[in-house]
Amino acid sequence: MDFLGFILAQCLSALSQAAILFFIACGLTLIFGIMRIVNFAHGAIFMLGAYVGVTTVAVTGSFLLSLFVAPIVVGAVGMAFERLFLRRLYGRRDGGAYLLLTFGLAVVLSELIRVIWGAQPLSAGIPDFLRGIVVILGQPFPLYRLFLIVLGIAAAIAVWQFLERTRAGLLIRAVSQNAEMVHALGTDIDLVRTGVFGFGCAMAALGGVLAAPLVTAFLGMGTTVVIDAFVIVIIGGMGSFLGSLIGSTLVAFVQVLGAYYFQDLALALMYFLMLTVLVIRPGGLLGKEE
Amino acid sequence: MTTRQSATRRAVLKAVTAASALVAAPSFLRQASAANPIKIGIPTVITGGYALLGSQVMRTCKLVKKMTDAKGGVIGQPIEFVYQDTQGDPATCVRKCHELVERDNCRILTGVIVSSEAAAMLPKLEEWNAIFISHGNGDGRLTAELLVPRFFRANTSAPMGARALALYLKDAPEKKFIAIASDAAWGRSSNAAFEEQIKKVGKDLVDKIYAPVANKDYSPYITKILQSGAQGCYVALQGDEARAFYSQATQYGLAQRVQFFTEIVAQADIKVLGRDAIGLMGSSRYPLTYDVPQNTAFREAFMSEYKNEIPDWSDGEMYQAMMILFAAIEKAGSPEPMKIVAAMEDLDVTSVKGPVLMRKCDHQGENQGFVVKVAKNDKYAEPIGEIVKIYPRELNTPDCRSASYSK
Repeated sequence: MDFLGFILAQCLSALSQAAILFFIACGLTLIFGIMRIVNFAHGAIFMLGAYVGVTTVAVTGSFLLSLFVAPIVVGAVGMAFERLFLRRLYGRRDGGAYLLLTFGLAVVLSELIRVIWGAQPLSAGIPDFLRGIVVILGQPFPLYRLFLIVLGIAAAIAVWQFLERTRAGLLIRAVSQNAEMVHALGTDIDLVRTGVFGFGCAMAALGGVLAAPLVTAFLGMGTTVVIDAFVIVIIGGMGSFLGSLIGSTLVAFVQVLGAYYFQDLALALMYFLMLTVLVIRPGGLLGKEE
Repeated sequence: MTTRQSATRRAVLKAVTAASALVAAPSFLRQASAANPIKIGIPTVITGGYALLGSQVMRTCKLVKKMTDAKGGVIGQPIEFVYQDTQGDPATCVRKCHELVERDNCRILTGVIVSSEAAAMLPKLEEWNAIFISHGNGDGRLTAELLVPRFFRANTSAPMGARALALYLKDAPEKKFIAIASDAAWGRSSNAAFEEQIKKVGKDLVDKIYAPVANKDYSPYITKILQSGAQGCYVALQGDEARAFYSQATQYGLAQRVQFFTEIVAQADIKVLGRDAIGLMGSSRYPLTYDVPQNTAFREAFMSEYKNEIPDWSDGEMYQAMMILFAAIEKAGSPEPMKIVAAMEDLDVTSVKGPVLMRKCDHQGENQGFVVKVAKNDKYAEPIGEIVKIYPRELNTPDCRSASYSK
C-alpha cells in the first residue's frame, strides 16, 4: 500500500510539473506552427507573467484574479510586439532575423523586469483555499499541485476544443497549413498571426503565474523552463498542439522519475528521450518531417 | 668656440631642468598619488540567476565607498570600484577580469559570486599581477589544492559552515540526517564537509541528494526525504534553488516532519518565505545581531542608507572583506599587489563578525562559527536569524590547506 501511494504521489508530481510545462510549450508550438517563428523570448514572457501575477496578488489580494490579469496584460504585450516588430519581417525568408529579434526581446524584457521590479525575488504565496495537503494512500500531496493538474487538464481540453471545433480554430489550422490560400480566400491572416502570437504569450504568462508559488518570481526563472519547452516542442513535433501535450507529460515524467531513481543522470535523461524520438521519428511524435 | 659655448649653455639648461625635475618629483608624485584612487575591480553577477547576490555586493561597495571616503580614504587615497558583469559564467568571468586589469588597471579583485568563477580566475592572477580577495566563495578547495599565493579568502567557507552546524548537532536530539545540495562545486564541497563532520559527532547520514543546478521541481527529492525517515535535513542550496526548495517543502508539510538545517541562512530567502522560514536553523555567514561595535556601526549605516533593508550574509561578508583589505593596505602603506599579500598574511582584524585572522599557511580567514535560528524580532520588519551558538575561530576553521578537520 505504501509503495502504491508512493508511485501515485510521484505520478501526481509529474502531472503537476507537466501542467506548468504544457502552458509554456503549447504557446511556443502554436507560434511556430502558424508563424514559423522560433520564439526565443518565450522564457522572458513566462517570467513577465509571473511578475505581473505576483504584483496583481499584492495589489488586489486575489490569486484567482491574477490568473486572468497576467495573461491579458502579457498577451497584449505580445500582440503589440508582433504588430510593431515581427510583422515587418514577414517578407524575409531567413529565419535568422526572427531569431535575433525574439532574442533581443528576451534581453529587453529581462532588463525591464529588473528595472521595474528590482533584482530581489518576489514572494508568491498561494491562497488559503489552496494551502494544505491531502493524504493519498499514506502519502502527503500538496493541494496546490492538484489544482495545477486540474487546471492543466481543463486548459488542454479547452484549447483542443477551440482549435478543433470553432471557426477561429479552423482558420488557425488552415493558416498553419497554407497561409497563402487562406489569404486568397479573403481572411486577414495578419490578424490571425497577431492573435496567435498574443495567445501563445498569454499561455506562457499563465504558466508563469502558476509556477511562481513553486519557485517564487525571480530574474532568470524563464531560462531553464524555455529549454525544457524547446525540448518538448521537438519531441512532440514542431507546431503540433497534441504533440506539445504529450511531450510535456513525457518530459515531466522523465524529470520526476529520473530525479528520484537516476539522480546523476536526471538532466541527461530528458535529452536522451529527445534524441531517441528524433532517431525514430525525425519530425517529432506528431510533427511532419520537412 | 661659439658652438662650444652654445652647447655648454644647452648642457647647463638640461642639467638644471633635470635637477629641478628630480627635486620637484616626490612632491608632484605625492599629489598625483593622492588624487589617484585605489581601484578595486568587482567582477560580479549583474544579470542572470545570481543577480541578487551581485546586487548585494554592489550596494555594499557603494556604502563602503561612502563611508571610507568620508574618513579620508585609505592611506589618504580615495577608493574606486569598477564593476563588470560576469553572468555567473567562469569563462566570462575570466574575460571580464582581464578587462578590469588591462583596461581599467584594477589590480585588486573581489566580489566574485560563483566558486567555479573563482577557481577559473586563480591561475591567471600571476599573469595579471593582481590579487583576489574572496568575500563569499565557499568551495573548500580554493584554500587547499587550488590555492595560489595571490588569493585570500576572508569569508566563511562551505566546510566552515558545515562544521559549525555539525558541532551544534552533536548535542541536538536528531539522530538521522539526510542532505540535499546543489550539484555544483560549492554544494558538493558543503555536503562532503557535512558528511565528514556529522559522522565524527556520531550521527547517521542516511542519504545524500545532489539536485541539478537551477532545478525547479523538488517534489521527487522531497518525497525521497519523506521516505528516508530522517529527522533532520541538511540543505546546501542557495538563492533561487533554496527558495524553490523551501517553498515546495512547505507545501508538502515537510517542515512539520523534518527539521531543516542549512549551510547559509540568507535574509533574502527569509524575506521571500516570510512566516514559512520561521524555525529554520543553520550556519550564518553574517550574524546580523552579533554585538560588537563594528557590526553595530555597519548595520546602522546600512539600514540608514537603504531605508531599513536588512543586510544579508553577502553584504556582511563583502563589508568584512573590504575592512580586511583596507587594513592590509594601511599596514603595507601601498596598494601594490604583492605588498598587500605580505601585509595580509597573519593579519588579525576585528570585523563585523568578530576577530578574523588571515592565516599565512593557506590564506584562509579564521572566522568564528555562528549557528542561528530564524525567528520573529520586534526590531525588524521581517524574521531574522537569531544567534543560538558561537564557536571559536580556531575550532571552526579547517586544517591548513585542507577542507577537513583533524581536531
